[in-house]
Amino acid sequence: MPRKISWLTGGILMALLILFTFSIWGADRPIGASTYVPYFASIIFGLDPAEYEYVAEIEKAGAWEGVMLIGAFLGGLFMSLFVTKTFRLSVVPTLWKERKNNSVVSRLVWSFIAGFIMIIGARLAGGCTSGHFLSGASQIAVSGLIFGGIVMATVVITGRLFYKRKGE
Amino acid sequence: MFERFMHMFEIVANEGHGSVWMVLFIGFVFGAIIQYARVDKFEKIAGFAMLEDMTVPKMLFLAIGLASIGLYFMNEMGWAHYHIKPIMLGGLVVGGILFGIAMAIFGKCPGTGPISVAEGRIDVLVGAIGGIMGGLFFTWAYPWLKPLMGPDFGKLTLPKLFEGHESLVVLIYGVALVIIAFLIPNIEYLDPEDREEKADI
Repeated sequence: MPRKISWLTGGILMALLILFTFSIWGADRPIGASTYVPYFASIIFGLDPAEYEYVAEIEKAGAWEGVMLIGAFLGGLFMSLFVTKTFRLSVVPTLWKERKNNSVVSRLVWSFIAGFIMIIGARLAGGCTSGHFLSGASQIAVSGLIFGGIVMATVVITGRLFYKRKGE
Repeated sequence: MFERFMHMFEIVANEGHGSVWMVLFIGFVFGAIIQYARVDKFEKIAGFAMLEDMTVPKMLFLAIGLASIGLYFMNEMGWAHYHIKPIMLGGLVVGGILFGIAMAIFGKCPGTGPISVAEGRIDVLVGAIGGIMGGLFFTWAYPWLKPLMGPDFGKLTLPKLFEGHESLVVLIYGVALVIIAFLIPNIEYLDPEDREEKADI
């Protein structure tokens, strides 16, 4: 079995999965993957839906995504162990070493901060790469297109400012 | 905590958006495609931020282009329904900027994060804990943040702006995204630590 698929194969498969998930034979709803994070936070810290408005608001979407992301974790684990054979414990990514630094502490601190900001951003916008990009832009929703445009531009600008230039 | 966790499966079972097994299956395939295409890697998303790897935009544009045409057809046939998110302008702009900054630094998004953890990335696990704390903060601050997320311009789609020509707009949009996907240069950063090679299929 090939150890990797191209953007072309991946894109076609992802389109089919989006259509299946939307269909009445699948889940009759879009794919989303950021509501589950505050949902898991509410489970871990035992936040009461009666006390916190947001917990009550996201309970259904959060639960659906929570189960979906458990599936995604298992799918990733299965593929990394048996097909792509890329499973290994690692801390600092290769490209981070090349364009940022070799420091474990730096990578972990930045990961924590970025994870923190990412979820606040996604929940402010009401979606993430899955909900706004994959599902939103597939429905040609104006909200998804606005989010997509802003995120793509910010990603490239941040990449330019945050990392060292190539070969520096 | 365990009770609340098990309650999650109950909610899904009673919600009518696919059985628990169906949702797990959708997730499994989602994770498998993303891991197989290696787009859960730092080098793919942060690589896009540094313009060293174009796999993510190419794959995204292609998937969205194809799905937009398919979804329109399925909606017309009654096989699927649209679920449009409203244009909450303040939230979209501020949230999009925060999300973009975080995505470039983290090299993940909330969907690819768990898949990355599944292949052994400790840094992403730490980032996920940061995410949980972010979710906790947002839940707590929601009453104050909510007014800043508007104004709400409603659930608008592009084809609705061109009444009477909806199918043409969808076709142009879908085909244009597919063409863009092919036009974006096929640059890839091949990670030596993963002994990564170009894909054959």
